[in-house]
Amino acid sequence: MSSNDNHHAMDEARAEVASAEALESPEVVKAATVAATTGPRRSPLVTLAWITPGTIWLLLFLIAPLVMILLVSVWNRTPTGFDAFAFSVDSYGRLFQTSVFATTLRDTIFRAILVTLLCVLIGYPIAYYLARCVKAVKFQIALFIVVLAPFWVAYIVRIVAWNPVLGRQGVINYFLVEIVGIVDEPIDALYFSSLAVTIVLIQVYVLFMVTPIFFQLATLDNASIEAARDLGATPAKTFREVVFPLSLPGVLIGCIFVFVLVMGEFTTVRLIGGGTIQSVGTLVYDYYKLPDLPAAAAGATILVAVMTVGVAVLLRFSKIREVV
Amino acid sequence: MSDTGLVLKDVYRIFPGDVTAVSDVNLEIANGEYVVFLGPSGCGKTTTLRIIAGHDEPSSGTVTIDGELMNGVSPAKRPITTVFQHYALFPHKSVLNNVAFGLKMQGVDKAERETQAKAAIELVGLTKFMDRKPRELSGGQQQRVALARVLVTRPKAILLDEPLGGLDRLLQMKMRVELRALQRELGITFIHVTHNQEEALSMADRIVVMGDAIVQQVGTPEHLARHPRNEFVASFMGDNNVFHGTVSGSNGGNVIIDTDYGKVEVEGSAASGSTASMAIRAAAVKISTDAAPATNGVRVRLDFAEYLGDSVKLHMDLDGKPFIAKVPEDRYAEVRALEGKDVTATWAAEDGHLLEQ
Repeated sequence: MSSNDNHHAMDEARAEVASAEALESPEVVKAATVAATTGPRRSPLVTLAWITPGTIWLLLFLIAPLVMILLVSVWNRTPTGFDAFAFSVDSYGRLFQTSVFATTLRDTIFRAILVTLLCVLIGYPIAYYLARCVKAVKFQIALFIVVLAPFWVAYIVRIVAWNPVLGRQGVINYFLVEIVGIVDEPIDALYFSSLAVTIVLIQVYVLFMVTPIFFQLATLDNASIEAARDLGATPAKTFREVVFPLSLPGVLIGCIFVFVLVMGEFTTVRLIGGGTIQSVGTLVYDYYKLPDLPAAAAGATILVAVMTVGVAVLLRFSKIREVV
Repeated sequence: MSDTGLVLKDVYRIFPGDVTAVSDVNLEIANGEYVVFLGPSGCGKTTTLRIIAGHDEPSSGTVTIDGELMNGVSPAKRPITTVFQHYALFPHKSVLNNVAFGLKMQGVDKAERETQAKAAIELVGLTKFMDRKPRELSGGQQQRVALARVLVTRPKAILLDEPLGGLDRLLQMKMRVELRALQRELGITFIHVTHNQEEALSMADRIVVMGDAIVQQVGTPEHLARHPRNEFVASFMGDNNVFHGTVSGSNGGNVIIDTDYGKVEVEGSAASGSTASMAIRAAAVKISTDAAPATNGVRVRLDFAEYLGDSVKLHMDLDGKPFIAKVPEDRYAEVRALEGKDVTATWAAEDGHLLEQ
């Protein structure tokens, strides 16, 4: 066959393929899927049965408390509690009378961002090792359970356990004073400090970063990686061009978990911070004990609003639906 | 051994647990050849392909390309690329960036690699879809992106793992023509793995039939269709009827085999008393309502006449064993009328084919 004929055959083949493909274009497939999902009409009662439990759950445990908090935050404070029939935004004003709340809010946001970033840096290699370096599924699961282990230990035990490490007579102080001798007195700041709070928060929450990244990496299509290697990519380039971008949804979900959990943190900050470190959570609790319920509710409202904005930014920023 | 092209020498692949996936494979594939590895699933054809690509290493034996030893060379450094079974396109990259990927890895600058990628995309007729993500394309379009992605790196050979497996039949037929034309146009070696006989016959310069981890036979489509070497090839290629029996004598250049269904005579020689088997192609079988002859003829019940457009395939029953024949399309009405009736199937001795034991 001459080369001219070849071209001709190619063109013809392409034209035919084009017509054949009109049959399976994404639009047609989409239309077919829509037809399939709406297909045999489901009884409205069945639909109702499906959505009822979720709706009731959301209403009772999410919407109702939020509405309550919002309402309480605009009620007037009285010496014994609040007056439900007098609306005002005084409680918000009280929060910002001094700079304490604003500073704490700023610190809380900063701490949440810092812990989230450090959790990515620490959690990603762990997840990567578990998902891609451990070959046997048996060991993979065993090691994953080991990673989960801190989570099984009661919250309070986990936090108190840091005392022997960071505390006045803890391992680090012992090392600094007795062995190295670079300090004469044990450093109190190790335990009741922002550093200690940050370290413990990472230890507590890194799990929420490891888990989604692990699952994302474990289900990654090996063929994509082989294809990259095949096309001349070094292992480093394969990671940068293929593995990392495809694991981003896991990273994002981990970031949302860690950010939201750290923003709302109360126990760790109180116990490890020892009263010297505050978070919005501890401030809200302080107002609650005062008692100034409207101010506590106002603080909680602001916290929820900031978290919502944070999550929205994360989602927007990463365009999660477009990655996979 | 040839200095050019791809050469597999004494290649074995034994998986842990003593599972032999590939055994004693010796092959020479010339540059510019279209070779199809054909075999049922688990026959070792995909493992062989992975060994060629470098995604797997042989337990023993060598792979050379143009005289250069490939053992231990990473897939990234081999002058060959693979079109994966499910295309393995990068889901997060646009068509353009998928195609430009190989050049990017070679360090080609952005402007140059985009020019080359666009040319490759045009070659496969997808210019309109350049900015789309793979999931926004149909199966056939995705497959052509996968092709463009390997073509752009100008490999010496392209390996295709079940390239048409995910497409519907109509599109498969079109892509066969297109792939073949593309291969001729580019003059690049294509090594294509499939379990589909029809696909192999329609596309290959040479077919390598694999079964039970070994190469059963290598040959042109016509040679394999007419001269299957053994029973495995004869049955796997389809459209063959196989008879087993004992050699009872000879007649000129023919050997006579006593089978459960009568005597058959076929070209060749074999020791009297030895076991033998022969194959007869469906297209060489003649159907009539006459009485059965003493040799090379059996009485069968015609169950079903399958109209294929250019021929009619007859599904028949030989004492509980399937027996097939193909007759010209213009006899459809006649054979259709015989459905459910006993007929006589005969063939000429020279059309039969003695199989290796």
